[in-house]
Amino acid sequence: MSYRLTLAEAEAYLRKAARAVGLDWGLAEEAGKAARWLAAFGLPGPETALAQLERLKGRDYAAFMPDCGHEPWQAAGGLLCPVVTGAALADRSAQLVAGREFALGRTAHPLLLVAILGQAARYHRVAFATAWAGVQMNCFGDGLQILGERDDMLCAAAEAVRCWRDDSAVAEIRPSTLAYEIDEALFKRIDSLAFETYVPASEASRAGAGAGLTDND
Amino acid sequence: MTCGERNPYPEAAAYRRPPEVVMRLSRMGSFHQSRLSFMRALLRRLKRENWSFKRNLWALDADGFGRAVYTVYGPERAYSLVAFSHYLPDEMRSDRVIATAWDATFTLFDGIPTTEDLDRLEQNVPKQEAGRISDSELSLSRANKSVRLWRYVVDSLANGKQPDREQLEAVGYLVRTTAVYGSGKFGAADRLTIADRPELSGPFQAELLSVWLIRAFSIDLVEHVAAARGGERAVTIEPELRRRIGVGNSTGLGMAPFLVNHPALLNNWMMAREEALARVRALPRAEPAAIREFRRHFERAVDNAAQWHSEHPIQVEKLHALRADLERMGEYMERESLVDDHPWDRFYRWAEASLSLEGQEQLVSLLLEPYGELVDELTRCMDADEHQSFFIDGSMPAKDLREIVETHCQWALNVDYDRPDNCARFWYTSAEKLEPRVGERFDEPGAEYELPLAIGRDLWALHAALQAWRGGATVAEFLLAHPEHRHTARRVQNLRAHPYAEIQDNLIAADMLPIDILRCKLSFFGATRFDPRSDRWVRICMYQDAPFPHELLAAAP
Repeated sequence: MSYRLTLAEAEAYLRKAARAVGLDWGLAEEAGKAARWLAAFGLPGPETALAQLERLKGRDYAAFMPDCGHEPWQAAGGLLCPVVTGAALADRSAQLVAGREFALGRTAHPLLLVAILGQAARYHRVAFATAWAGVQMNCFGDGLQILGERDDMLCAAAEAVRCWRDDSAVAEIRPSTLAYEIDEALFKRIDSLAFETYVPASEASRAGAGAGLTDND
Repeated sequence: MTCGERNPYPEAAAYRRPPEVVMRLSRMGSFHQSRLSFMRALLRRLKRENWSFKRNLWALDADGFGRAVYTVYGPERAYSLVAFSHYLPDEMRSDRVIATAWDATFTLFDGIPTTEDLDRLEQNVPKQEAGRISDSELSLSRANKSVRLWRYVVDSLANGKQPDREQLEAVGYLVRTTAVYGSGKFGAADRLTIADRPELSGPFQAELLSVWLIRAFSIDLVEHVAAARGGERAVTIEPELRRRIGVGNSTGLGMAPFLVNHPALLNNWMMAREEALARVRALPRAEPAAIREFRRHFERAVDNAAQWHSEHPIQVEKLHALRADLERMGEYMERESLVDDHPWDRFYRWAEASLSLEGQEQLVSLLLEPYGELVDELTRCMDADEHQSFFIDGSMPAKDLREIVETHCQWALNVDYDRPDNCARFWYTSAEKLEPRVGERFDEPGAEYELPLAIGRDLWALHAALQAWRGGATVAEFLLAHPEHRHTARRVQNLRAHPYAEIQDNLIAADMLPIDILRCKLSFFGATRFDPRSDRWVRICMYQDAPFPHELLAAAP
């Protein structure tokens, strides 16, 4: 069974799911945007974000954060989180624009990293290339180019990742605004993670939310 | 504001009110609808572009249950309100978002629906949040009848009598919408699907088009039921009386966080309104026609204030002040010249020194009325590219981030957030209805999943953390060490280009009134008769006195 998830829902659910596993709101927002960005290209952004968030769940995400002082960037725990690392890269994207190349060590779900760089590409109006294993993905503000092995694109972890500005890239895929089809069982897992950020009703909250006077007149 | 750089009225800049004056909850909670309101911008466009209208389907039984389709045809596209009218037992009728059944349910279809579309929608739209709509639908909404007025109007019309004007005006609407969802909610088309269509690119245009057509449906429905009951005796509502009927709306906390979650958009709404006011204030003199137009709208405001009822103690007091303010404005107009010597600026400055916030903001709306040519174009500046404001400039020195906080956010830095009354509340998403609510931090569970709406406290915390970052370190380095400040840092950078982006009050204070946020947003929609039912729940009226589709638009073939 598949479920049609609108792009707005993809962003909102994954933002909450990311918060549920302990990412702070600002990073959770990046996760939501990344899921949405990929889904707009028909790529498994929500599913990949779910897989990464389930990996983070119950752990301190500091272990997945990059040490940006030394190249290649490495995580204390040995595996970089693509959301946290993508945000760190996006924050340094002016250096990418200026021509610097970044090298990363072992990175989980690099596809998410591309999505977060995609937001920065949109801002700078340039193309950023990200390459690992046998695949290179070039992201633009409103387009994408995939070179090489699509199977590698979806890998759960890459041993090494490189990012740079690539002016020779050509946008070949344009984003859609239509709903994204996701396996219903996977959606339920996203939904139940997001649900953890919701606060159960109490008598006090129910009473407070509504009209003080009658609402049936 | 996207239009800012090309502003053809540079002289207005000196008259613009600064954010620290405008962005206060007490003032925002006193806003009135204006020419720039989204409902009015929508109707102006439909008229200007010669849209046409047709009721394409009316399949309702004698009790008024069944389905109907209303279509408006624009230069490039058509949109259809699909309406389902249901039997609803009295005991199930509730405006609360926790309701599960309604008198009528609606969706705005992108184009003209086929019978198959209608069958699909009939399986889903009546279920509202529990159903699913698709990329072909732009809104999802529902309405309940006003029990007070509905039966009375049906009885009157069925018996061949016009309803009493006073009774009609006391309520102001036959049906009350209790939610109007759009933008990708419950399967509906994503906002980006319509963002580059000129007719829907402005804020909430699809939702407000739905509501305008719901109003027409409510009149047709009451007349249909009265005709079925009264047979040949039955009459329809006289056009002049019909105009007095709008659409009600009940709104709770759910919409309040929107303004906080869309800072660039809030800035653009505020900036457009402030620029409009500044342009009028900058006029050195007023022509007689403009003064006549102002007086005409002033009289309407006096009538509106007289008919505006509320039982809520806060609003009762505000209405009392508004009526007194209008009286004083009337005296001012007798006493002072409205012709020369920057008459509108003098009037505004007098009001600022003499009137309550209700009266001041009423005057702001009135001052725009004679000057459509000067201000209406500003509605084009009221949407926002939120992707651009999502980006964080990590290359900025951390000390510059601190300076922005100190320049723009003094309001947040002078509060002691450790005091219980300054952090008494927290915003969260309710597990029961998946909508935002406000809780009492010290009495209710759930604060660990507080939504990032405590902007003042978070600005204070960001500022404190930045104290240690005085060297050449960048925002990128700061945020790697302090990911907990990422959300707030994004907002702070946004303030450079969007000075009206933040509400400059503590949104978790014990005395914060969520209805102030609701009123601000609803006034931008164009709502009137703001009637709080508690400090977090409000009723309003929409489209009262507006033309109906068959009056404004030509009949479609």
